[in-house]
Amino acid sequence: MTKRNWLLLVAIALTICGLFAVYSVDPLRDEGFSLASFHGRQTLWAAVGWLLFWLIARRVEVSRFFEWKWALYILMILALVAVLLFGEGDEAGVRRWLFSKSVQPSEFAKLAFSFFLAAYLAEREEEFGYWSLFLKTLFLTGIPAFLIYLEPDLGTALVLVVIWFVGLLLSGFSARRILGIIALLVALFSLSWPFLKDYQKARLLVFINPQRDPLGSGYNVIQSLIAIGAGGFLGKGFLAGSQSQLRFLPAAYTDFIFASWCEQFGFVGGFLIIVLLSIMLYLVFSIARSVPELEGKFAVVFLGSILLFQSTVNIAMNLGWAPVTGIPLPFVSYGGSSLMMSLLSIAFIYRIAARSIESG
Amino acid sequence: MENQKTILDRRIEVLIWILGIIFIALSARLWQISVLQGEIFKEKSEANRIRIIELRAPRGIIYDRNGEILAEDVPQFQIVFRPGSLGLEEAVSKLEALFKGRIAINPKQRSTNEWILCDNLSLEEVIRFEEARQELPGLSVETIPMRFYPHGEYVFHVVGYVGKVTLQEVEKGDYNIQDFSGKGGVELFYDKLLRGEKGFKKLEVDAKGRVLRVLENQPPHFRNSIALTLDLPFQKFCMNLLKDKKGVIIAGNPRTGAIFSLASSPAFDPNQLSKGMSQEEWEALSRDQSFPLTNRATQALYPPGSVFKLLVALAAAEEMPDLDEKTFFCPGYFEHNDWKYPCWKRGGHGRISFKEAIAQSCNVVFYQLGLQLGVEKLEEYARLLGFGSPTGIDLPGEIGGFFPNPIWKRRQYGEPWYPGDTINLAIGQGYLMVTPLEIYRMICVLANRGVFCQPHLLDRVIDNQRGEILAFEPFQQKVASFKEETWRKVIDGMRLVVKQGTGKACADLGIDLAAKTGTAQNPHGEDHSWFAGFFPADQPEFAFVVMIEHGGDGSGEAAGTARAMIEWWLKNRGKSHD
Repeated sequence: MTKRNWLLLVAIALTICGLFAVYSVDPLRDEGFSLASFHGRQTLWAAVGWLLFWLIARRVEVSRFFEWKWALYILMILALVAVLLFGEGDEAGVRRWLFSKSVQPSEFAKLAFSFFLAAYLAEREEEFGYWSLFLKTLFLTGIPAFLIYLEPDLGTALVLVVIWFVGLLLSGFSARRILGIIALLVALFSLSWPFLKDYQKARLLVFINPQRDPLGSGYNVIQSLIAIGAGGFLGKGFLAGSQSQLRFLPAAYTDFIFASWCEQFGFVGGFLIIVLLSIMLYLVFSIARSVPELEGKFAVVFLGSILLFQSTVNIAMNLGWAPVTGIPLPFVSYGGSSLMMSLLSIAFIYRIAARSIESG
Repeated sequence: MENQKTILDRRIEVLIWILGIIFIALSARLWQISVLQGEIFKEKSEANRIRIIELRAPRGIIYDRNGEILAEDVPQFQIVFRPGSLGLEEAVSKLEALFKGRIAINPKQRSTNEWILCDNLSLEEVIRFEEARQELPGLSVETIPMRFYPHGEYVFHVVGYVGKVTLQEVEKGDYNIQDFSGKGGVELFYDKLLRGEKGFKKLEVDAKGRVLRVLENQPPHFRNSIALTLDLPFQKFCMNLLKDKKGVIIAGNPRTGAIFSLASSPAFDPNQLSKGMSQEEWEALSRDQSFPLTNRATQALYPPGSVFKLLVALAAAEEMPDLDEKTFFCPGYFEHNDWKYPCWKRGGHGRISFKEAIAQSCNVVFYQLGLQLGVEKLEEYARLLGFGSPTGIDLPGEIGGFFPNPIWKRRQYGEPWYPGDTINLAIGQGYLMVTPLEIYRMICVLANRGVFCQPHLLDRVIDNQRGEILAFEPFQQKVASFKEETWRKVIDGMRLVVKQGTGKACADLGIDLAAKTGTAQNPHGEDHSWFAGFFPADQPEFAFVVMIEHGGDGSGEAAGTARAMIEWWLKNRGKSHD
C-alpha cells in the first residue's frame, strides 16, 4: 500500500475516534441524533469533509493555488478584516466567525497562508538563507497573524508564525538562527505584556502554576489532569467518566476532548490517539520528501506543521504542559471549521502526493 | 537545484526528529499521569463527584407525666452554600437580591466547605428560593431539627435548653463542632439518652454543585424519648403562683420520689437560648440581678428558719423519752449566760407542751432543746436527714447546703463554738444554709418515717425503635430508724401547726395535713417565707415545700401560696393520683 493510502486510512481512523469522542461528551446526547446536537453536527461536517476530500483528491488542480497565490493572500486578508469589521462574537468579546457563526476564516487562513508562503518561497530559491527573504516574509506573515491576534485568537496567530518559522528552516536558515529569532520574539513579547488582555495573562500565569487559581483559570488544567489520571491504564469505559459526564471538565468537547477521551479509554486510548497522529505526521513528512517540485514540498510540510503544532499544543495543554490557548485537537475536537481544515489539509497532501507520482 | 532539494529534505528530517521527540515526551507524560499517578487522581475525581452531608441527629421528645410535650424538635429551614461555580460573595449577593435584604445574611461557616447564609426561613421564603433555584448553583435549602419548647419558661428550670456544643465536649469526642447538646435541666442531665443518631447523605454532584443523585441516604433518627414525673398543668399553676415573685415550689410524692412540680421563679424562655443569643443579650441575661437562669430549688442557699425546728424536734423526741409529760414556759425570751434570746411572740407563749411548741413555733422551747441536745447531736441528726449534701435529683448543678460545726468555726473564724451558736442553730438561723430541695427531702423522710426516696424527674424512657417503655426505678433507703413514738410526736405537732398554729391558713382544706412554717431572717432585707408539709399525715401521698424570697412571715405568704397549690391539686387530681 502506498504512503498516501496509509495516510487516508489513518485520517479515517482519527475521524471515527473524533466522532466517538464528541458523542461521549455531548450534553445533548440523550436527545438522540439530530443536527441540534453536537455529535449530529460533527457527523454532518465529517460527511461533508470527506466528500470534499474525495473531490479534491480526484479533481483539484493544486498548481492553480500556487499560481493564484496573491489572490489567495488578498482574499485571506479581506476575510480577516471582514471578521474584525462584521464578525460575530461570543459573550467574552471574541470575534472569530462570519455568516452566523458558520465559518471561522482564521481556520481557512491557515490553509491559504500555507499555499501562499509555499509558492512565494519556491519562487525565491536564490534568496534562501538571506535576511531580505526573512524581512519580506516577516512582513507578509505579520499582517494576517496580527489580524488574527486582534480577534483575539493568539493560538491561531501563533500557527501562522510557526508556518513562517518552518518556512525559514526549509529555506536555508539554520536552526541556530531560528532559535535566535524566537528568543528575540519572546523578548519583544514580554515587552508587550502590559497590552495583553487580562484573561490571556491569567492563562499564561496559570500555566506556570495551576494552583494559583484553582477555581478560576487553573481549574481547567487541574480538572483535565484529574480526568486523565482517573482513567488509569484502561479507562473507566465508554460514557462512564464522571469528570466529563458531570461536567467537571470544562470544554470537554473542544479544548479538553483528549482528557475526556483518556478518562474513558485510559492510557491505552490516549496513546492510540498520539500514535495515530504521529503516524499520520510521519507519513506527511516522508511524503514531503518525495514530492519533487518545491512549492508542493513546502505546502505539504506547512500543512503537516500546522497539524503537528496543533496536536502537540492541544495534547500538551491537556497534560498540563502548555498554556490553555483554545487550540483544537485536529480530527478529534468538536467544531466544523477545525475538522474541515484538518480534512482539507490531508486531502491537499494526498492530492499533491498523487500528482507528484503522476509527474514524477 | 538538486543540492537545494537535498538540503530541504535534510531539514524535513529535522522535523521528523522533532516529531519523534514530541511523540516520546507526550506518551511519557500520559503514562506518568494515567498510570503512575492514576490512584491520586482517581481519589481526586471521587472527591469532585461525591459530597457527604452530615444530617444532624434529632433529639428525643420530652413529655410530662401525662404525655404533654415539653420539648421537641421542629424543622427549621436554612440556606446552605457549598462552593461550586459560584463564589461565596457572589452567592451572598445573589441571595440578597432575591430576598431584598429582608433576611439578615451573616454567613456562618458550618464546616470546611459549607456556609449557612440564612436561618429560620418561612415556608413562603423556601418556595421563593426553590423557584429561583436554577440561577443559584451551590445553594440549597436544608431542614435542620430545631429544639422547641411549647411551654417556654414554665418548664425552663426543669427541662433546660440546648445550645452549641462547647470545645471541651468536642475534645471528649462525643460531638462535632456544629452539633447541639443539652445545656441545662434534664436536657443536660439526660443528654446521652436524648441524643439521636446522626445520618448522612452521599450525593453525586456536578461541577456546579447541583445534586444529580443520592448515592446513599442514612436518615438520622432519635433513639429515646423520655417522660418526666412533672405534671404540666400543675407546674404551670405553681409557676403562676410565683409570678412576679422570687421563690420556689417543690411538690411530689414522698413515697416514690416523683416530683410533680419544681417551680423556680423567675425563669426564662428556653426557646430564645436554643435559637442562639447575641453576645450582648447573653451578657445582659447573666448580669440580671433576679438570676432567672439559677434554679432556686437546687442551686440557691437560704437560711431555713423555723422549718428546721422539725429536725430539732425529731432529735429531742428521740433522745428525751419524757417529752410528752413535760411542759415548757415561754416568757417571750430565753436567757443564757447573760444573753437574752427573744421569742418571735413578744409576750411569750406561757406554759406550753412539746406539740404546742411545734404548732406555735416557739423559739424559747427550741432554744432550750437545742442547748440540751448540743451541737454534736444536732449535727448527727442533720446528717442523717441529708443536710449538707445534695439530694441526687436528676438535674445538673445541684448543690448541697451548709451545716456548721465547731471545727469548721474554729478553722473559718479562729473562734470557739459558743452556746449562742447552738441556740441560733436550733431555730434554723446563724450559719446554717440549705437549698429548698434539702428541706423537701427532710419533709419526705419525715413523711416516710425514716425512709428516703430520691427525688427524681424521670418517669420512663421510651425506646423509639423497640417501643419499649423503661420505668424509672426509684431509689429508696432507710436513713433514720427512730422509734415509732418519735415520728408520731413530731407529726402530731405538725398537724397541730395546721389546726391551730402558724399554719392555720390551711386549716379548712379538709385533709389531714402536717406542715411547718418558717420565717427566715436574712441580712438582705425582708424575711424569707417558708411552708413545708405533707398529707395525709399517716399515709402521705403528697409532700411540698414553698419558699418565697422576702415573703415575710411564713404563716402568711408561703402558707397562703401553699393553700392555693393544695387546693388546685385536690380539685384537679383528687386523692387518687400516683
